[in-house]
Amino acid sequence: MQVKGRRKATEYRRATGSGNRCLEGSAAQKSSFVTAASLILVLFLSSAAFFIPDRYLPGLILCDIFLVIHGLSRRGKLGVIVRVFLVQLIITMSLYYLIHGQGQLAQGALAVLRILLAFIPGWWLSVSCRAERIGEVLTWILPVKWAFVIAASIRLLPFMTVELREIYQIQCLRGARITPKFLRDPRNWPELINCVIFPLLIQLLKLSRQVAVAAQLRYFGKNKKPTHWR
Amino acid sequence: MSKSFNFSLQDALFIGFCATLLVALKSMMRLKLGISGHSMFLMTFFYLICYGVVGRVGCISACGVLSGLVAMILSVGKGGPLILIKFALPAIAMDLSLLVFAGLFTLRWRCVVVGLIGCFAWAGKGWVEDLLVGMTMQVALVQFALSMLKGGMFTLLAASMVPPVLNRLKSHDLLYKDSTE
Repeated sequence: MQVKGRRKATEYRRATGSGNRCLEGSAAQKSSFVTAASLILVLFLSSAAFFIPDRYLPGLILCDIFLVIHGLSRRGKLGVIVRVFLVQLIITMSLYYLIHGQGQLAQGALAVLRILLAFIPGWWLSVSCRAERIGEVLTWILPVKWAFVIAASIRLLPFMTVELREIYQIQCLRGARITPKFLRDPRNWPELINCVIFPLLIQLLKLSRQVAVAAQLRYFGKNKKPTHWR
Repeated sequence: MSKSFNFSLQDALFIGFCATLLVALKSMMRLKLGISGHSMFLMTFFYLICYGVVGRVGCISACGVLSGLVAMILSVGKGGPLILIKFALPAIAMDLSLLVFAGLFTLRWRCVVVGLIGCFAWAGKGWVEDLLVGMTMQVALVQFALSMLKGGMFTLLAASMVPPVLNRLKSHDLLYKDSTE
């Protein structure tokens, strides 16, 4: 009885486990399709901001308002968009005032509005879609090698960041003029290149060689349909 | 990315790492400087380093496209899919110019000329965008000139730093293909 019960429990656990895996798989696939649709929508809306005639602009503004509301509900921050809009508005309006006088200020404001409308869909995409899903969608259209390169680069980004930070801190302790205060002066940028970027490039050259050898030892590139570690 | 982009895996990985580092550094430097055009500094530097290390026409375009894709994935620049054009267009222009200038000047002048052509493409993209959103030709031209001036300064700074870095890499015996001549 006990053995029978244990077997049943194991079967139940297996069934529920595989069920969960199926559910997770279908949810991930659904999420990837939603991300692909979002990418196409963003591409369409951003391009529309440049190309559509003025009479269709209210419709586009309405779409972008929906995106902003959705983005804000996902805890997105509008700070960057507002900053870009204000800088662009100040530069463009001053140029319009200096060149054309007060007569064409409305046209300048409309141009800046179109730039804002082109920015908002990209901001919404960054707030609403997860990075790994965007990466997965891109692998549908990219060759296997380049998809591997992008995945490896993003996977190794934390390693690169740690290396960069360590080299930077060591060089700061040695007295290099690369602190944020010094870097406001572009004349100190060569020091940043020599002290931080050059050692980092050496690390990247070594790293690329190591990763390439490791991948080739695992028969990378031998099979047209590579397998994935999950 | 057809046969012309058929790099060895090591070269492809180096291009990918450069692209990722470019995007990561750009996101770190963004907003802290507050000067438009500083992205041309990083772009010129890393694109030319890729050219110096990999030494093949097509590597700058590959780096540009990968930078755009990584920026899109990491949501840097908030430009969505259009950020791809921002990174890829100067890279393609630089690659095309290398077809003409590949063996013409010394490495230093080649870097400067190719970098300035990339900057021209970057400023030109802004000019076309300005015209598309309905700005007048005069305002768009002034914006273009300002972009070219600011971006050009950063490009010159970056292009002048590339040859010493490549020479140091060569002296450490890390360049297995010599493109520094």
